[in-house]
Amino acid sequence: MKLLTHNMLTSHVKGVVKGYPLLIKATEVKVNEVDFNPQFVSRMIPKLEWSALVQAADELGQREDLPGELVPEYENNEEFLKKVHRVLLEVEVIEGVLQCPESGREFPISRGIPNMLLNDDEV
Amino acid sequence: MSEPESTGSLVRYYCTAGNGMQRFLIAEVKKKLAAEDVCQLAGKVLFSSSVAINRVSELKAAERLFLLLRRDSPVRLSAHAGPAASVLQSKVLGDVAQWAGAAGTWSRLQGELSARRATGHGKEEEQGGGREEESSGGTGGGEARRLKRKRDEDEEEEKQTNPERKTDDAKEDYGPRPSRTEPEPPAPAPPTFRVSCKCTGSLTRYFSTQEVSRVIGGGLSRVLGWKADLKNPQLEVNVSLSDDHFLLGFPLTRLPLATRSYMKTTGLRSTVAWALASLAQIQPGSRVLDPMCGVGTVLIEAAQEHEAVCFLGVDNDDGQLQRANENVALAELPHRIQLLKASSMMLPLPSSSVDAVVCDLPFGRKFSTKTNMAANLPLILAEMERVLRVGGTLVLLLTPQLSCLLKKLLPQKDAGPTCNQEAEPATGKQRRPTPPASSTQQQTVPIPGGVKPPPTQETASGLQYGPPPPRCSMEHQETLRVSLGAIDGLIHKYVKTDS
Repeated sequence: MKLLTHNMLTSHVKGVVKGYPLLIKATEVKVNEVDFNPQFVSRMIPKLEWSALVQAADELGQREDLPGELVPEYENNEEFLKKVHRVLLEVEVIEGVLQCPESGREFPISRGIPNMLLNDDEV
Repeated sequence: MSEPESTGSLVRYYCTAGNGMQRFLIAEVKKKLAAEDVCQLAGKVLFSSSVAINRVSELKAAERLFLLLRRDSPVRLSAHAGPAASVLQSKVLGDVAQWAGAAGTWSRLQGELSARRATGHGKEEEQGGGREEESSGGTGGGEARRLKRKRDEDEEEEKQTNPERKTDDAKEDYGPRPSRTEPEPPAPAPPTFRVSCKCTGSLTRYFSTQEVSRVIGGGLSRVLGWKADLKNPQLEVNVSLSDDHFLLGFPLTRLPLATRSYMKTTGLRSTVAWALASLAQIQPGSRVLDPMCGVGTVLIEAAQEHEAVCFLGVDNDDGQLQRANENVALAELPHRIQLLKASSMMLPLPSSSVDAVVCDLPFGRKFSTKTNMAANLPLILAEMERVLRVGGTLVLLLTPQLSCLLKKLLPQKDAGPTCNQEAEPATGKQRRPTPPASSTQQQTVPIPGGVKPPPTQETASGLQYGPPPPRCSMEHQETLRVSLGAIDGLIHKYVKTDS
């Protein structure tokens, strides 16, 4: 699971009002080199919850010097885009769990694929 | 999309395409190959292009690719077998010089294709290599069976020829095209060949397909000195004879273009998967979701076409996700396609968070789904609608039965309150547009699992007063029928509006 995906994920457990962002408890994290596509990164940024991305990178110990606030005119700031690229696409959680911030329900991540299926009594 | 690289000389090709796929193929050759003189013939698309053969061989909507030798008016026979054979032979052989010229072009194109494989041009290169490996017999029986089935399907398509009669004056020769500049190099040693023939219509009253092949093969050997080799020929001569047309050509690739080298396990036909994605108006920077991705065929076809796009595949089955994972890895797309285990009826995604939803809705024949698709369709649709942003596109492939059901759920013009029903699915499918009173009642139906209600539902609380505004925000765009082999599928396209 890349943080690009994590940034979209919400918890749907019954009764939960704000199941976002999911907390990450990783037991295995990989950083793979991925070709840098500045166009892709700058087009994805407006769709991101910035604070959730920063928090997730923090939880994984992968934040480095990613700023807490989105920098203005990032489209032409290649250095910044590369930092975003790294946390969005290169950092990958292979094993671990995602946790609903409200209900505490845990969703396992196995072989890089988060399992967000709920039991019948949770829906 | 980069500029098509031109080789300077215009080549006339034709491709076979599944039923319903011709319009996709026509659009594709025009867009990617700057094709000229594009025309459609039962199950085939003819076009001219000067773009390099490697690009031509990367067409996605086509089944097989041929160099056109000649297109002529249909062969009509009136006498009995004896003279008929010679009439057929002279008609098919036509101008002998054409054959040598076409064989020359064919071998030039083959050379360009294999040069591409040999020298290494990044990824496409490897694909070419994969193709070669496959064709050298490593995959054995499975592949052969698959191809056999494909051929049968082709034949099937052949039989269902268009009722519209093609005019007899349709005639095209292989030969110097107006814009061709260089003469073809003389063909070297006579090639070994095999005739592959498809006959339908009145001709079959005189000859069996085998007899036609024999007559044509004999003529080629005698007149051109080509050597027949049924087992391992250099050149295959494809003859297509029907009441509507007469086509001669040489196939340019051993495996159909529809056999993707980058796909290990295919679910849906790759061509149809590509067509689905091509309708989704995917833009750079888009987020695209397949909420029942299976082995990932649709996403992989889409990701081949779009680089700066984030694809998300959801499935609730571990086995399918595992195969999808392998496919994504094989296609070298792990950075663009992310997988997630979840239910399509309860997507763990915020409302209005994706730009396009593309999905081949699984059905009984091929997939053993525990869920009853018909019963769950209202919930699945409601989730798709919820996660789509306003202006986003929904493209679905369904069986004819599910397509009928979908028409009731997402009315084309009369937008009754049938769209956001999250009530018991079993009743949902029978519900027709209802009067305002009952529609307010529906508002009280609890939304399962605390799903954030779609905005349309929030605004619908004032419904009691006045006529109900359309609550269904999915605006129907088009419905297309495509062949999936044994059965047909229907592609429905919608755009989410802010009503």
